[in-house]
Amino acid sequence: MASENSRALSLDEHVRRINSQDKVATGVLTVIVGLVMLLVVAIIAYILVRGAGRALTPGFLTNPYNDEAVPGIIYQLWDSFYMLIVTLVISVPISLGAAIFLVEYAPDNWVTSAAKTAIETLSSLPSIVVGMFGSLFFVVTLGWGISILAGACALTMFNIPILVRTIQQALEDVPRSQRDAALAMGLTRWETTINVLLPAAMPAIVTGIVLSAGRVFGEAAALIFTAGSAPARLNFASVNFLSPTNPFNIFRPACSLAVYIWRLTSEPTAGSTEIVWGTATVLLACVLLFNLLARLLGKLLSRRLTAE
Amino acid sequence: MSKFDLSRRQFIGALGATAAIAGLAACGNTGNTGTDTPSDSTEGTDTAALVGSISCSGATSFQPLVEKARDAFQDANPDVSVAISGGGSGQGLSQVAEGSVQIGRSDVFAEEKLEADQLEGLVDNQVCIVGMGPIVNAGVDVTDLTTDQLKGIFLGQITDWSEVGGTAGAIQVIQREAGSGTRATFEAAVLGGEVAPDSFRPVAEVDSSGTVVEQVAATAGSISYVAFNYMENDGIKALTVDGVEPTQENVESGDFMIWAYEHMYTREDEDESTAAVTKAFIEFMLSDDFAATVVEEGFIPMADMQVKKDADGNITAA
Amino acid sequence: MANLMPKRRLENIGLGITGFCVALVALVVITLIFMVAQQGLTTFFVDGLNPIDFFFGQNWIPEQERYGALPMIVGSFAVTLLSTLFALPIAIGSAIFVVEVAPSFGRRVFQPFIELLVGIPSVVYGVLGLYVVNTFVKAIFGDAAPTGAGILSGSIVLAIMILPTITTLSMDALRAVPNQYREGSYALGCTRWQTVWHVVLKSALPSLMTAVILGMTRAFGETLAVQMVIGGVERSMPMGLLDPASTLTAALTAGLSNAVSGSVYYHALWSLGLILLVMSLVFIMIIHLIGRKGAKANG
Repeated sequence: MASENSRALSLDEHVRRINSQDKVATGVLTVIVGLVMLLVVAIIAYILVRGAGRALTPGFLTNPYNDEAVPGIIYQLWDSFYMLIVTLVISVPISLGAAIFLVEYAPDNWVTSAAKTAIETLSSLPSIVVGMFGSLFFVVTLGWGISILAGACALTMFNIPILVRTIQQALEDVPRSQRDAALAMGLTRWETTINVLLPAAMPAIVTGIVLSAGRVFGEAAALIFTAGSAPARLNFASVNFLSPTNPFNIFRPACSLAVYIWRLTSEPTAGSTEIVWGTATVLLACVLLFNLLARLLGKLLSRRLTAE
Repeated sequence: MSKFDLSRRQFIGALGATAAIAGLAACGNTGNTGTDTPSDSTEGTDTAALVGSISCSGATSFQPLVEKARDAFQDANPDVSVAISGGGSGQGLSQVAEGSVQIGRSDVFAEEKLEADQLEGLVDNQVCIVGMGPIVNAGVDVTDLTTDQLKGIFLGQITDWSEVGGTAGAIQVIQREAGSGTRATFEAAVLGGEVAPDSFRPVAEVDSSGTVVEQVAATAGSISYVAFNYMENDGIKALTVDGVEPTQENVESGDFMIWAYEHMYTREDEDESTAAVTKAFIEFMLSDDFAATVVEEGFIPMADMQVKKDADGNITAA
Repeated sequence: MANLMPKRRLENIGLGITGFCVALVALVVITLIFMVAQQGLTTFFVDGLNPIDFFFGQNWIPEQERYGALPMIVGSFAVTLLSTLFALPIAIGSAIFVVEVAPSFGRRVFQPFIELLVGIPSVVYGVLGLYVVNTFVKAIFGDAAPTGAGILSGSIVLAIMILPTITTLSMDALRAVPNQYREGSYALGCTRWQTVWHVVLKSALPSLMTAVILGMTRAFGETLAVQMVIGGVERSMPMGLLDPASTLTAALTAGLSNAVSGSVYYHALWSLGLILLVMSLVFIMIIHLIGRKGAKANG
């Protein structure tokens, strides 16, 4: 009788203890999450406070770096976007192809697992190693010189693993029934992929591409030795595609926003600290815009597709 | 609309380039941006004006100055373009030695970096002079150091400011990274061939003058060295060495010993299509018109020097 | 029959195009590994550096032709482990909160928030670290950390940078735990915390470990941010957490611009790159091992 009593008591105690444990744990977790949110807000607020003034100065976004009154970042902005576009033009088709292969065709053998491992290796490579490789392979061996193309290829090496993974995921997420229906109708795998799977997976793919663009946009270490770090001097009226001043020439050196920040902190000139924070703000705003765009596009596309 | 057309053309170009990676073997070692471009940029010009594109890579220390020169040079010669990239002295020298750029910038003599066979055919164009001197945190109450005291500090033998006439406090040495041209120049002039013991640890080894300035300004009791053009910053103080002020005049007269040439190396056997542009650009850098900009940017024009230095560091009257 | 042939050809074309893409990626990776290995091994086979001196040498002083990589190897591992240690409890804690306690808050507010951190370029982290973290460390430790630069500052900056990686992957891992497990646990009268601790975390363990390793991979390879805050002292071994040090990546960024291609210094830098490459392969292998073990444990 006595032992039963104490057991009941200890059970009671146990329940109380686990309940208070639960409360404490929840409390601690809440605090942690609060701190993380605070950290994010603090970091972004700090950058904005230091840079928003400069970023919003009229002319900062539209003037060249050597403007006397308001040195701007138009060339760097252009180079960043242009390099991004070239990167996407190279990496999207390759990633799309690779992802389709891995999802649809890949035989279950060592070739496939080797290819998967290769893509995984790419995703974990430090950016400076990619930069070193690019500076030797793209710049010297292939003879492209310090150029947008070499930089874009280095960026492609980062982008491919991210893209392949998201596209693969998107394709796999298409309901089995759609694929089966298409195959049952006598379509080949290729036709099924092109006509059924890709359209169905498109919203997720587009979202993935835009999100990856945000990451590529801020990369610097891989570009320093491949695309260069000197701001190009561009002539937007130029029609000669092989001139280094032609904005579209892919064989000219370029300096992206992120590399420009790195360079200005390394080799500051008068008033460059302000430009650094201003550029950082613009960079951050671009990346946020990419994130927002990715969400919007994803929603819009999926709505259009389901409406049809 | 035309913009879209252009980007499509670039698209195709990039696809072709992708194919080129796949081909691998198809690409030899021969092509390079510098010499690819000029032949085509001649289109549409009919005057005897200078035409062509050259590339210039290397030391970042005087890159802003070269960019200024490029801007003015291109304004005067609209059909010329000079593509400037950084990379550091090592990159600049190796690229000019292997011919992938027309001009390689360096802040040390090529003899210090390259092997004898790589030096073959390189032309040393000294375009200006950079003076350097010690700087300390603004809170340090020492204004002058002798060369011997500097040497003691950077060899780790003198570790407290009271040993050199200041208020007691640890001396925090901030170094440039190994291989930096600025560091090589400073150590050649101050250490006289001696090396710091393995046990000596600076509080930071940073890879650019800008960071040096920031770190010295932020670190109490710190000492480092930078080029003259970095000395006008808040939070730091330039020291005199053996009582000599770090000024342009004192470098020109040979009184101030810590200085180096900024070199723009070119090749003797440069391709004819670009040689004229390269020559004109270097002449422009040395011209009297540009000398004012050189001074403005904190460098010293070649013309006024009364002393000269050879690759071994020997100083003689010019 | 005649109708079938084009179909088969179409299928072959599809296979050809996509197979080519995969082959291309694999080829580039193989080229990369080959080139880095070739350049990195030149140090030992052509320049004649003793590998033991290289890996265990305690002094990296290029101007004296002394290439001992141990200070950088130690620096890289120190910042990687320390930053993971800092980030881990925070990351797992917030993942638990947003998955188990407040799922809709997690999806709508927290996830976009933490993804902002991924978007901030590493250069910006470097600048922030230089101005904020180093100043902070200096203020706390005073003369022990005269510039504030050192392993501790590097680890703090890295911890913030890998926080989103570990957090989002942990969130995915926790979400992947089947709901029946939780329901079963609650049905037995367990509290939420008991459920999380004994059921959810345990069954998500392999995926959580993968998340941690991926975070470590990122920390190990991070370049510019860590270079800006760690102090960059390569010449001898760091003696403590407040001592300025260097990492493999920082030494590469600083050195690559000064080295002339073909010199011993240049090859020695590639050897550092080779170490980085081998380490990322090791990290991948660990992830594979965890995955295989996890698959076995789950039947």
